[in-house]
Amino acid sequence: MNELEHTSYERAEEGNRPISNARLAVLVLLGAEIMFFAGLIGTFLVFRFGSVTWPPPSQADVRLPIGVTGLNTIVLLLSGYTMFQGLRAIRQDRQKELRNWLFVTGLLGIIFLVVQGSEWVRLVHHGFTLSSGVYGSVFYVLIGCHALHVLVAVLWLLAVFARAIAGRFSVNHYVGVEVCAIYWAFVVVLWPLLYVLVYLI
Amino acid sequence: MICRHFSLIVGILVLVLLIPTAVEACPSCKTIDDPIVQGFKWSILFLMAMPYIVAGLIGGGVFYAYYRTHRTDNRKPPSNVKGV
Repeated sequence: MNELEHTSYERAEEGNRPISNARLAVLVLLGAEIMFFAGLIGTFLVFRFGSVTWPPPSQADVRLPIGVTGLNTIVLLLSGYTMFQGLRAIRQDRQKELRNWLFVTGLLGIIFLVVQGSEWVRLVHHGFTLSSGVYGSVFYVLIGCHALHVLVAVLWLLAVFARAIAGRFSVNHYVGVEVCAIYWAFVVVLWPLLYVLVYLI
Repeated sequence: MICRHFSLIVGILVLVLLIPTAVEACPSCKTIDDPIVQGFKWSILFLMAMPYIVAGLIGGGVFYAYYRTHRTDNRKPPSNVKGV
């Protein structure tokens, strides 16, 4: 089956079904991801509300970078907006705009990761590590798992961007962009919740 | 066989019933003022709600996809009408 026939087949498949296999698979994947993070947040809630003082007295001198991370939150939210604009562009068959929006989204995602990484390096230099009691464990596991998901999302986005440059998406065939956008939306929406829980409460 | 050891079995059962400390296996069974109870309470409530939220999200997504498909189908003009 050549590529043209394959694309026609996919179009026929997508045209007949209310929801494509790829979209359904991503929804189920996100269900599993939500339960994974729910387990981590549940652990955090036990320690957070189970402690009389937070941070625990042994880690009272640790100051998390609330301001910088707040700005980083805005960067990630902005990337959610640009991803949505990219999806809108391909729905109206504007290929060049799709490429531009995907590029900006990827750039914002990388900026988020770099800022997070630099803040982690600073915290580790101050002696706040994964083995710094419950506070350190909860912080690095929860925030680290999210950062890992952002990294996966950025890699996925780069693959979609490469396919967009090759002109593989059109107004009739953009499920690759859509499933990536759904995953991106997940990591973007999850972050403010984690920020409020871990940094502010 | 059972009759021969009946008194022994009853004796063991009585002995087990007289040791009530063995039943305290609940991790949340603390005094109500203990902060860890609050921690477990919020965690349990949160985790209890999550499966319903996940099922609602996936179900909502599938329902919306069906709704959008049917809406699009209804808007399509009949195939025998030309120039529409």
